[in-house]
Amino acid sequence: MSKDVVVDIQGLTKSFGDRKIFRDVTLQVHQSEVVAIIGPSGVGKSTLIRCVNYLHPFDQGTIRLLGHELRGGERPSAAVLQDIRTHVGMVFQTFNLFHHLSVLDNIVLGPVEVKKVPRKQAVERAHELLEMMGLTDWAKAYPRRLSGGQQQRVAICRALAMDPKVMLFDEPTSMLDPELVGDVLEAIQRLAQQGMTMILVTHEMMFAKEVADTVVIMADNAIAEMGPAKQVLENPQTERARNFLARVLRNTPPADIPQAVVGGDPD
Amino acid sequence: MSLFSIWGQYFPSYLQGLGVTIELTVLSLALALVIGFVLALMRLSKVRGLVIVATVYTDVLRAIPVLVMLFIAYYSLGAIGIKLSGVEAAVLTLGAFYGALYGEVFRGGISGVDPGQREAAAALGLPPSSVMRKVVLPQAFLAILPPATNRFADIIKDTSLVVTISVADLMLQSYQAISATYRPMDMLGLAAIMYFVVYLLVSRVLARWELNVQRRRS
Ligand SMILES: Nc1ncnc2c1ncn2[C@@H]1O[C@H](COP(=O)(O)OP(=O)(O)OP(=O)(O)O)[C@@H](O)[C@H]1O
Ligand SMILES: [Mg+2]
Repeated sequence: MSKDVVVDIQGLTKSFGDRKIFRDVTLQVHQSEVVAIIGPSGVGKSTLIRCVNYLHPFDQGTIRLLGHELRGGERPSAAVLQDIRTHVGMVFQTFNLFHHLSVLDNIVLGPVEVKKVPRKQAVERAHELLEMMGLTDWAKAYPRRLSGGQQQRVAICRALAMDPKVMLFDEPTSMLDPELVGDVLEAIQRLAQQGMTMILVTHEMMFAKEVADTVVIMADNAIAEMGPAKQVLENPQTERARNFLARVLRNTPPADIPQAVVGGDPD
Repeated sequence: MSLFSIWGQYFPSYLQGLGVTIELTVLSLALALVIGFVLALMRLSKVRGLVIVATVYTDVLRAIPVLVMLFIAYYSLGAIGIKLSGVEAAVLTLGAFYGALYGEVFRGGISGVDPGQREAAAALGLPPSSVMRKVVLPQAFLAILPPATNRFADIIKDTSLVVTISVADLMLQSYQAISATYRPMDMLGLAAIMYFVVYLLVSRVLARWELNVQRRRS
């Protein structure tokens, strides 16, 4: 495995019970690379990235990261699991902020509980992160008071507070009202520019094209095509990738055309 | 003698009885909470053996009348050499029975927590015990508190069963007052009022607690 490969997924096969989700997925993510995974609903995109931090066990194949090797069908030790999860940040589609904790305590919990960072230091870092996300005033609020876009940015802070080596994003904007998507995408883009290695499941094609180095298209229980973002999105080589892209592009208006024009609003 | 002067006369012994009632309640509750928590964890675990043991325990304990269990603990265990005092037998019985009920309450509250919360905590690297302590239990709390309060009120009332094994609780004090005064309505009335006051205080305090937590999190 070449030196700058951060996550090395080889021959990954995963089923839930009798249901095969995907088979033989091989994918390498390099230092500071942004990999976007796209594909139809239910193809296993979320499942794939959840294997990386072992939220799901898998049947066959290996994932090598952070000097550890996860093997299909073998439960890693608690210590390995904790080390991986400590250094792999995850942002969920539904934010999953801890409702019983303030914004600040959401961010501080991981560093204090897992990394044993002194609380004072963790709080300072949390304030820095909140400031970076434009959320300075919300530290004391409880998550339910925040808009979806704000909650998702807090969730990003929560993950960043652990100083992750890799970030996983699972459709971070798909639950947001359209007008709130921009702030979150901007935050992710900034992270990419700062050199964060990330795997991003998204349905925002324009964003993928702009931010991702590599695009992976999943279809029919496997990787249909992957390669440089522009190439895969503009000039897909495989039938299955073309089919998928044709279907999405028909349903998504290009980002630069105002909604009203596309929707043909009579007014 | 007027009602109030006779109540006044017996009030000290009633208070003493109330002390025993409260002691029984607190000890039984403590035991029930521990048993209930363990049962809930067993039933939510993935180990089949633990699930079966906890399920059988729960079903059996719920099926047997508390009074029968109390007699078994006090008389039958004594016959096979395990001598328990009245208070011990009562605490064991009520703790075991309410443990089964609290097990269900806890299990419901814990499994009602959004799995996404657990996942988010696990994804931060929190070990399972911290996930439970820092995220799942605090969130289950609001769902657990109201039914737990009801059970608590039931324990207070059920402690009166110990009158059958001669523990000097509030109920026994009122029995004795009745046999001395031949005024069952009056003397039971005083006991009822005292049970009611305790219940009212406890439920008010717990409801206030619930409200505070709810306010804090919104
Ligand atoms: N915990 C689970 N147990 C059983 N089946 C599951 C579980 N999680 C997901 N699945 C199934 O696995 C398949 C892949 O799910 P996954 O969430 O990975 O798809 P996805 O590509 O992320 O879809 P979407 O775009 O809708 O998020 C789906 O059919 C789903 O129903
Ligand atoms: Mg998904």
